[in-house]
Amino acid sequence: MDWGRLRFFLSEVLTNFTRNAGMQFTAIGTVAVTIVLLGAFLYVRDTIQTFGTGVLSQIEIAVYLKDGVDDVKAQELASRLASDPRVLSATYVSKAAGLRRMQDALGHDFDTSLLTSNPLPNTYHVKVKDPDTVPAVAATIARDPLVAKTDYAADTVQKLLKVATILGRAGIVLIALLYVSAAIVIANTIRLTVFARRREIAIMQLVGATNMYIRLPFIAEGMLAGILGATLAIGVLALADTQIVPKLSQTLQFVTFQVNAPLLSLELLGVGAAVGLIASWLSVGRYLRT
Amino acid sequence: MIKLRGVSLTYPNGTRALDDVDLEIEKGSFVFLVGHSGTGKSSLLKLMYREEVPTHGEVQVDGIRVDTLRRSRVPKLRRNIGVVFQDFKLLSHKTVWENVAFALQVTGTRTRDVMRMVPRALDLVGLSHKSRMFPSELSGGEQQRAAIARALVGNPKLLLCDEPTGNLDPSNTTEIMELLQRINLKGTTVVVATHNQAVVDRMRRRVVRLEHGRILHDDERGYYFRGLGQTAVLP
Repeated sequence: MDWGRLRFFLSEVLTNFTRNAGMQFTAIGTVAVTIVLLGAFLYVRDTIQTFGTGVLSQIEIAVYLKDGVDDVKAQELASRLASDPRVLSATYVSKAAGLRRMQDALGHDFDTSLLTSNPLPNTYHVKVKDPDTVPAVAATIARDPLVAKTDYAADTVQKLLKVATILGRAGIVLIALLYVSAAIVIANTIRLTVFARRREIAIMQLVGATNMYIRLPFIAEGMLAGILGATLAIGVLALADTQIVPKLSQTLQFVTFQVNAPLLSLELLGVGAAVGLIASWLSVGRYLRT
Repeated sequence: MIKLRGVSLTYPNGTRALDDVDLEIEKGSFVFLVGHSGTGKSSLLKLMYREEVPTHGEVQVDGIRVDTLRRSRVPKLRRNIGVVFQDFKLLSHKTVWENVAFALQVTGTRTRDVMRMVPRALDLVGLSHKSRMFPSELSGGEQQRAAIARALVGNPKLLLCDEPTGNLDPSNTTEIMELLQRINLKGTTVVVATHNQAVVDRMRRRVVRLEHGRILHDDERGYYFRGLGQTAVLP
């Protein structure tokens, strides 16, 4: 394609675009709104995921040893735990250390002088590599002859995992709906452009332009609307990121707000362009066939 | 150039536009299609540039079977056929130059060739000096000449004109007909559908008369009404 042809093509796209300015603004606005929602959703989902995996990775299995097992014997279990490939680490906390920890944690509210003996068992705190394996690992360790009991925040782990799954599924549905609604608006806009340009299209067909050639400017126009909408949305999201998120993280200190902004922006741009492309393709295609 | 054999055309609403038409048009000839409106003149032209497909029969243009042509091949056929209409069909937001260039640009012609071919077409129709004007700034005759330039810019072998002078006054009509004659002399086959009796009778070319979708008569050097000259008084 030589420069003159490219310039002709671009000027065609631009005249179309500006001729239908009012409708284009509506389309861009709708795309922007849907993409802001999409972006906010992805943002929240990412945050929850980061938060969730953070919590899950911190979950420990408490392994309480039988009463008669002393510190030396406990070493046997340590080597057995170390040989389990699912286990990340195992920290030994002896009776005495456990009591000291409790004292440190509770301070003056806890008076050790009232105790005649140390009621705490020798304990291992086991961390696993994959949070999903917590229940299985706990069950394996519980069968060990030195172990009296294992304990972990079973319900919490499973509920968190379940919430993450449900959120993921709901998210897919929501995202799909948002895509569809944005596509419909773009398709309608392009249909209006096509209608406004029906004389040109008729002449193009008359002088022997191919359908692909007729289609191309409209598709470029749809993609332009999609990309502009996405850009607007990314601007809004970036503004929210710098203005609202710092305040939120002050109130919700335990949550880390973290998102891969460049990647997310690129994704949203891609979504905008794709929605514009598909919508305009279908819209012009229907016209050309009739 | 054009061969129609047993061609019938019935529109989806049941209207029978053409009924068993046989017609042959030689390369380089000039032919009038005459008859009242609604007798199938436009339909006949539409079959030739494949705007319509016959219900029955064969249509051949320049050796190509148009009636069975695949949709994807239609653009190529159309590049070899120029079409001119009563209402000019110019784009009002483009200048004369841009309107003519448009036909080349949308068929992927190289810019270098566009720059060479457009002035030639404008020169042929005598509009070079008004190439920067918009259609609304031109007279009807000039607009039709711009439309003819657009139809001819790609050097088609066949020029189809559907009531080209229908919107023009007598002097512009004469001008356009002289232009079409000049184009024909350069070797382009010209087919003109018209119900302008004066034009047909003055030019004395082949006249194919249609009535109710059938060919009523077909005369070399004919008149609008068979056997009657220009002096005939209409009933």
